[in-house]
Amino acid sequence: MTSKYVRRIDVIPPQAYPQMMRRADALKFILLAGSQEALQRAVRAVANCSTELKHAVFDHVERLQEATSQAQVQAVYDEAHEIRGIAATIGLISTGRIANSLCTYIDATQRAAVAADAAVITLHVEAIARAAFAEDEATRLGDEVADELSSLVTYKLGENAPSKKTTH
Amino acid sequence: MSYAAFDSLKALVIEDNQHMRTLLRSLLIALGVKNVFEAADGETGFDELRNRRPDFVLTDLSMKPTDGIEFTKRVRQSNESPNPYVPIVMVTGHTERLRVEAARDSGVTEFLAKPITAQNLLLRLAEIVERPRPFVRCDGYFGPDRRRHRDESYTGPWRRQDDFKDDIAIA
Repeated sequence: MTSKYVRRIDVIPPQAYPQMMRRADALKFILLAGSQEALQRAVRAVANCSTELKHAVFDHVERLQEATSQAQVQAVYDEAHEIRGIAATIGLISTGRIANSLCTYIDATQRAAVAADAAVITLHVEAIARAAFAEDEATRLGDEVADELSSLVTYKLGENAPSKKTTH
Repeated sequence: MSYAAFDSLKALVIEDNQHMRTLLRSLLIALGVKNVFEAADGETGFDELRNRRPDFVLTDLSMKPTDGIEFTKRVRQSNESPNPYVPIVMVTGHTERLRVEAARDSGVTEFLAKPITAQNLLLRLAEIVERPRPFVRCDGYFGPDRRRHRDESYTGPWRRQDDFKDDIAIA
C-alpha cells in the first residue's frame, strides 16, 4: 500500500521521555512486584486497614439511608459509589455488588433524563444495609438479593429504553 | 528480597476519601515506597505534583472541586505541568462505560478498578515499569497511546508518524 503521508499524529517513544525509574531498577522492581513476598506484604497492609474500612462502610450506609429518606438522588449515588469502592476490598462482596447495581441504575436514569423509581432505590438501600450489617447472614442472602436487584435494574432500564421498530 | 528498587520512588495519592487514601498509602509503604504524598482533590494534587515531583500518581476519578479527569488533562496539557509524562493510575469504582472512556481520553496510563486488591495494584505498577507506552500528540489529545494492541487487519486511515517511512505508508 502506498499513500502520501499526512502528519497529523506525533508518536513519542518511551526512550524519548523520562521513565519512572532507571532500567536496572526497573528489572528489580518487576521481579519484586511479581513475588509472593511482595504480595503477602500488600495483603497484610489491606488486612491492617480492614477495621477502619469497615467502619467507613457503616458510616456511608448510614448517610445513604439518610439521603434516601430525604430523596436526594445525587447524594444516594455518591454514597453508594463510595460503598461499592470500599466494600469488596474488606470482604463485603454482596454489599459492593448491590451498591454497584444501585449506581448503575441511577447513572442510567440520569443519562436518560428520566426520574429514578424511588422503590428501586429503597429496595437497594435496604439490601445494602442488611448485607453490610448482618455479615454472615448477608453473605448468603446478599448474593441472591444482588442477583435479583440486578435483574430488576435491567428490567426497569428496559422500560425506559426507546422502543425498537422492526423494519422489513 | 531487597526492596531497594522502591526506596527512592515518590508516589502521590489523590483521593477524597480519607479511608481509601490510608489504604493506598499503606499498600505503597508495604511495598517499600517510602515517600507517599497525599492530596484530597485534583487541585491540591496538581500543587503537590509541582512541589514534590512524584515518580507516579494514583488518583481517584470522582472528586470535588477538581476530579481525576481534569487533573489528568492538566498534567498532560498545561504549560504549568512539571512532568506531562508522569504515569497516572486512575483508581475508580466507576464501571459505567462513558465515564471510563472519558477517563481514558484524559490521558491516564492505567486503570485500577475498585475494589482495590494488592495483586491488582502490583500488576498495574509492574505494567507501567515493564511496558512503558509511547505517547501520542494529536488534536485534542496528549497522553499514552490508547491503542494497546496492533490490529493486523487494520487498513487505515494511516495518520501516525510511525505508520510511515520516507512519506510512504507501511502496510
